[in-house]
Amino acid sequence: MADRILGLLILVLTIFYGWTAGSYEASFGDPLGPAAFPQMLAVPAALLSLFLVLRPDPDPAWATGLPAIRQIATVGVLIAYAFLLEDLGFVVATALGASAMGRLLGAGWQKSVISGVAMAVGLFVVFDTLLGLPLPLYPRFMS
Amino acid sequence: MDILSSLAQGFAVAVTPTNLAFAVFGCFLGTIIGALPGIGPVNGVAILIPLAFALRLDPTTVLILMSCIYYGCTYGGRISSIMLNIPGDASSIMATLDGHPMAKAGKASEALAISAVASFIGSTVATIGLTLFAPMLASVAIYFGPSDYFALYVLAFAMIGGVGGASPWKMLLAGFLGLMLATVGLDPGTGLARYTLGSFNLYDGFDPIVAIVGLFAISEVLVYLETAHHATGTLVPMGRAVPKFREMLPGMGAAFRGSFIGFLSGILPGAGASQGAFMAYVAERRYSNKDDTFGKGDPRGLAAPEAGDNAAAGGALIPMLTLGIPGSGTTAVMLALLISLNIQPGPLLFERQPDMVWGLIASLYIANVVLLVMNIPLVGIFTRMLSMPQWILMPFIIMVSFLGVYSISHSTFDLMVMIGFGVVGYIFRKLDISLIPLVLGLLLGADMENNLRRALSISNGDFWILVQSPIAATIYAITAAVLGTAFILAFRTARRRRASALAELED
Repeated sequence: MADRILGLLILVLTIFYGWTAGSYEASFGDPLGPAAFPQMLAVPAALLSLFLVLRPDPDPAWATGLPAIRQIATVGVLIAYAFLLEDLGFVVATALGASAMGRLLGAGWQKSVISGVAMAVGLFVVFDTLLGLPLPLYPRFMS
Repeated sequence: MDILSSLAQGFAVAVTPTNLAFAVFGCFLGTIIGALPGIGPVNGVAILIPLAFALRLDPTTVLILMSCIYYGCTYGGRISSIMLNIPGDASSIMATLDGHPMAKAGKASEALAISAVASFIGSTVATIGLTLFAPMLASVAIYFGPSDYFALYVLAFAMIGGVGGASPWKMLLAGFLGLMLATVGLDPGTGLARYTLGSFNLYDGFDPIVAIVGLFAISEVLVYLETAHHATGTLVPMGRAVPKFREMLPGMGAAFRGSFIGFLSGILPGAGASQGAFMAYVAERRYSNKDDTFGKGDPRGLAAPEAGDNAAAGGALIPMLTLGIPGSGTTAVMLALLISLNIQPGPLLFERQPDMVWGLIASLYIANVVLLVMNIPLVGIFTRMLSMPQWILMPFIIMVSFLGVYSISHSTFDLMVMIGFGVVGYIFRKLDISLIPLVLGLLLGADMENNLRRALSISNGDFWILVQSPIAATIYAITAAVLGTAFILAFRTARRRRASALAELED
């Protein structure tokens, strides 16, 4: 089933991809132009995805219950971290992000927070101070 | 003799104090990365590339650092295979078969020493092969025109589809998806924006390094979260610190045999290090499993795949450096590194930047010696690293990935792209779709399109030019043969599987 869904998604994507390619025109440049290569890719890709729809492999065992919740929560933490990195500054955002991830990986609150804070400070010192990679230090509202 | 003088010149580049220091540092870091379960060479090298840029090092030094990390990883992978029965990376799966039983029988230090020596033999054979064959291939490849290169790219994808996995359809589909992703951004020929959906962030296309870090590092955490509860190994006690030499001797012949098999499989695109280790083990078992000792801690069963693994890793550098076509995941990452250093790999690399190429080759010889010396006495330190809890390690990998990607462009958008690729990577891995062709497509797509368009500019739009040169025609013939056998084999296994499923139903 998973194969069929993915195959269908890719099929829709390749049709959109090949169809959009037709609108790329240039009156100058090489004889082939910008549209031909994408069109050449779209046809076999569509056929292969169709194959996936028609002849799928057996479904893998997906995570259920707690592990699945943890996976979704981790992706949520990562997205939040990416958005907050510049607003909160590297140290605060990383301490929060790493603590949350430690917790999701099964460590206790205390351990997660200690390792998160240590990681945030340590990475900042190594990369910003020692290696000269500029990182946002302060939360944005403070600067 | 030409090669020897070039190599001497290379050693002059490699032994400058900075380069030597970074080589040793790279070996150390690489062994740790290889040893820790969860970060393989692909992840490790990909995460560190942006950071290496941040150090503003000389391109040659960056290349030396990364290659030493690459070689170090192939040494380190075996440590957790032997001690924990959990492979440190995909290519050291075979090392668990005889390595872990040896360690359980109280011969942990012998197992580690044998595999270190076998790794050294494998890597050295591959490095010598690289020294001899790479310039030869480069001098042939100079005669390649655009249509020949296009044919070569087609062959590379066919090989990956044919050799690499259980389902050639999925491999090929992944390759096409990668190529499609590569067309996103400004078209180099005309400056037209393609598939950017109106977003300026996509004008430069997807940065392969951002994609690779997401595909491998982020997806690894998602995979780990799922398997965490039933994959905890226990560390085998080390036992004697000094290995007994007599216990190690039988493994030496196996190491040499494994090296040659591994080297050959490393050169073929798509086969890569895991395949090299696998083939070396199978061949060695057939050759010397007379008393049925394999799988129960036979030193030969450990030495052969370890040597094969390392030799394949070295061999895979040959097509990457001379043709610009990587054969494995890690060499794909190395290619991404070269491209971001503004170095175009391929036959001209040997002519235009001999210092860099030969400096790299010389530093691989040095790395081998350093790694051998480092791995026998210091193996205790690396072993202790294995007991680092995952709740520290995983967040650390993620944070360093974010740091690395953030340092490329300082943009939140790239971080989101990385997370997106991570989720895609996880789904693909679950559905048995290899990520390697996806990465290769993304990396090679632009070059493949450019060569195609250049060839057709020469012929003024006549497609016959693609098959007119004898080189291209030969390559297409090989491609057809490879694809043909792959699909026939896949059909046969599918039919056999269906037949056996049917038989089970009838029972």
